[in-house]
Amino acid sequence: MRFSARTMTLTALFAVLTAVGAFIRIPFPLVPMTLQTLFVFLSGALLGSRGGALSQVLYVGMGLIGLPVFTGGGGPQYILHPTFGYLLGFIAGAWVIGFISERFEKPPFLVYLAACFSGTLVIYAVGTAGLYLNLNFIAGKEATLRQVIDFGVIPFIAGDILKILGTAVLASRVGARLKRI
Amino acid sequence: MKFLNNMTLGQYVPVDSSIHSLDPRCKIIATIVCLTGVFLVSGPYGFLSWGLFFALMVMLSRLSGGLILSTSRPVWILIAFTSIIHLFFTQGTPVFSWGILKITHEGLEMAARMGLRLLMLVLFAGFLTLTTSPTELADGLESLFSPLKRFGFPAHELAMMMTIALRFIPTLLNETERIMKAQIARGADLDRGGPLRRLRAFMPVLVPLFVIVFQRADDLATAMEARNYTGGEGRTRMYPLRWSIADTATLMLTVLFAVAVTLLEKRLMA
Repeated sequence: MRFSARTMTLTALFAVLTAVGAFIRIPFPLVPMTLQTLFVFLSGALLGSRGGALSQVLYVGMGLIGLPVFTGGGGPQYILHPTFGYLLGFIAGAWVIGFISERFEKPPFLVYLAACFSGTLVIYAVGTAGLYLNLNFIAGKEATLRQVIDFGVIPFIAGDILKILGTAVLASRVGARLKRI
Repeated sequence: MKFLNNMTLGQYVPVDSSIHSLDPRCKIIATIVCLTGVFLVSGPYGFLSWGLFFALMVMLSRLSGGLILSTSRPVWILIAFTSIIHLFFTQGTPVFSWGILKITHEGLEMAARMGLRLLMLVLFAGFLTLTTSPTELADGLESLFSPLKRFGFPAHELAMMMTIALRFIPTLLNETERIMKAQIARGADLDRGGPLRRLRAFMPVLVPLFVIVFQRADDLATAMEARNYTGGEGRTRMYPLRWSIADTATLMLTVLFAVAVTLLEKRLMA
């Protein structure tokens, strides 16, 4: 894999943006919303599949080597955290969003919308799987898939739809002006 | 945004101790050995030995015990929860029952085993990040993963990006705070109204933040290229990692201890 200096700096800065996003909390019915996933979507949409996934790998890596960049802190022990699956989902989600938007020369609004929807589904799938495995095998609590979805997906849907719309608006305006890296 | 103060250091506590001055590669490998060791034991002697070993490490690192325990705070609930679930929901010979709650002998054993194992894992993993700075860890990981370069794994590039990211966390947090203050000064209402209004109120914060990110990334890339940055090949370091005899000794002792504890426990349990 070859990287230009610009790819490297942009990818690194998007990892930092995701960390910054985790700190911006907007009170929301049910669960407070953070802007974390907004930057996950944007990293995929603007940096493409490789850059987007890499920036999320860096974000998760930063948290694992001890920086408090996750919503619940950081450190290697975070692997045991029930929500760690969502962090892995960010990597896959950013990749999927990048992969879909890369198919187009200048992706229009609708393509970004579809890409972000697919990415969100991937994040939910990986995150729910992680939560399910964590509850059933680490915590030893028997939870059905249904219960896990009630906890880990339903409360976030409203906020994520807003963030998907925001990403599609931003990306379709910025993406056209940004040279592909 | 009060998290600014100790953000770059993360959990790292800089102290001049024999543990802190070990090579990060040695500490990473030793931690993996310890984690494997904790997984392999299941009886009281095994956990006690690892507990004593950990206490020794903490003494050598000159960190306070309270601080060490506080790193495991995010997973305390998980550990407590796990233990309680195992305590009440394991079938076996009852030792105590009260209404529908009954505690079995097997349940007690399982609860203690799972709780202790999780706790030890968390403590050992957290200890690594308490005694090693994120930059050292990134350098150590780069060096450990560099044999994979042959298969196309971008070890150097990942470490470089990690270093850039670490460097820019405080910068971007500062910038975000500055933009937010600037917009509030112009009359932006960031914390009132419904969710939709608040999200829209954040747009004037996000747009300048993006502009700054792209500018910074471009400036930095230009600066790197102007200084002839061409990737990891033949690049030298300001502070090269040094593997000393102390590192070899520490690693060997850790491995010996892990093997001894595992084997002795097998013997005792049999």
